[in-house]
Amino acid sequence: MTSARTLRKIPIYAVLIVLCILWLLPVLSTLVVALKSPQDFVSQKFYQLPVHISLTQNLNKVLTEYRLNAHFVNSLLYAVAGGAVTIITASMAGYSIVRLRPKFNFLLFLIIYSGTLFPFQMYLVPVYRLYNVLGLYDTRTGMILIYSAICIPFSLFVYRGFYTTIPREIEEAARLDGCGPVRSFVSVFLPQSLPPTAVVALFQMTWIWNDLLFGMVLSRTQHVRPIMVALATMTGYGGGNIPWIMTGVIFTSIPTVVLFILLRRFFIQGMTLSIAA
Amino acid sequence: MVVLLIVPMLQNIYYSFFDWNGLSKPVFIGVHNFVALFGDSVLAGSMLNTAIWVAFTLVFPVMGGLLVAVFVTGLRGENFFKSIFFIPLTISFVATGTIWTYMFSRELGVFNGIFRLLGLPIKLSWLTSVPLNTFSMLISWTWQQLGTNMVMFLMGLATIPSDPVEACLIDGANGWQTFIHVKFPMLAPITTVVITMAMVNGFKVFDIIYVMTRGGPYQSSETLAVSMFRETFTLFHMGYGAAIAVLLSVIVIAISSAYIRRMTRRDLLYY
Repeated sequence: MTSARTLRKIPIYAVLIVLCILWLLPVLSTLVVALKSPQDFVSQKFYQLPVHISLTQNLNKVLTEYRLNAHFVNSLLYAVAGGAVTIITASMAGYSIVRLRPKFNFLLFLIIYSGTLFPFQMYLVPVYRLYNVLGLYDTRTGMILIYSAICIPFSLFVYRGFYTTIPREIEEAARLDGCGPVRSFVSVFLPQSLPPTAVVALFQMTWIWNDLLFGMVLSRTQHVRPIMVALATMTGYGGGNIPWIMTGVIFTSIPTVVLFILLRRFFIQGMTLSIAA
Repeated sequence: MVVLLIVPMLQNIYYSFFDWNGLSKPVFIGVHNFVALFGDSVLAGSMLNTAIWVAFTLVFPVMGGLLVAVFVTGLRGENFFKSIFFIPLTISFVATGTIWTYMFSRELGVFNGIFRLLGLPIKLSWLTSVPLNTFSMLISWTWQQLGTNMVMFLMGLATIPSDPVEACLIDGANGWQTFIHVKFPMLAPITTVVITMAMVNGFKVFDIIYVMTRGGPYQSSETLAVSMFRETFTLFHMGYGAAIAVLLSVIVIAISSAYIRRMTRRDLLYY
């Protein structure tokens, strides 16, 4: 019985292993190519290992010629500042919608939440025009503002969902002890907010880091353009540039990969929430 | 937030009724932009491509994700397999597109290299011949998206109680029958979510196409999102671009609202 069952599983294993090889192939190719010098890359076959490791030269090229480090700093700023603005605004808004119950709170929530429904293309033309009029075009402030605005709806949803699970009794107790809404938010709700904050930080900072569209439309110069736009403009030249481009891919992917490894256990929670959304 | 999202949304609808190049004064032309949408042969191509993207997204990343999730559960080495499919989730669309541009490169790419290694006299122009370019990009899209769907289906499978499954097995059903008659119906809520999200993502796809082909050659691999970008920010047909955005939004909202309505109706049934 057991042997028959094991036998039946062999095709499943075979298919899965083939798929895994297909899935790993691009990752491994990227790593190998990033280690090669352009000369090696052009003269060697794709599966051959490099004769001499030239990762440092490639990295140097990527940093000095393509100035990816400057864009790296830009995107880091956007991710951290945008993430911070989002977390502060969305947590306060989530609290007030759930607990203070302003008039039309559900309508208010729906209006804000509709922000996640529309494709981003819907905002491009008007925001581009608005930014030109206000002088926010090609400024770091402008980028942080638009990223926060895009991130707030989903984050608000996360916080709102989480705050509805906090028992009302706890807040009642705080109120009897003399806490106003602000105090009760700061000392009752905030200390418990680690899980939603981790979810928001993971998902939204990754999104900001990976964004291409808004970066391309709303910025022009090197000290404003986010990193994915810089990476995208590196592509399109084939041949000997490929080792540098692949080094760029690795360089730009480090932060999100690290963030995923660090906040791994919050990832499933975030998926659950986005399904609920 | 309201200033940056809600107002622009309405403004966008407003602009879609104008002929405007971004600099001069917008000229009101009524629904002319929308009429032009349907007479534009490039846009017809990009609508067809968008439909291909959505259909393909449902077949490969979604069904593939479901199959992998079902077969990987309970297998020895489950976590190893899962983490392999998870890798692409940690990198961006731009990075995915960049990596696969190299994989598909005609002279130096990995796939043509493998053909050469196997002695096959095939050398494909993966990204420059029509209609292969769209399908090449869909392969990289599958690579990037399958993991997400797998994770969601795995979560769904984990919530299925074991009693009905065991009862079914005791009654003599085989694995396939159990799946079709018990597991799959119980997965329905998750399946709805995954399908809706996949369709919406298929309609909105932009980054991968922009990085890999820029929509070319000759706009042959454009989808609506890419056409919108080209019309608006390369050709500065702002009003026309806005009209494409409206069209895209209408489609996306129609799909999501169908889904939302289904979900709320189910809630009504249960409570």
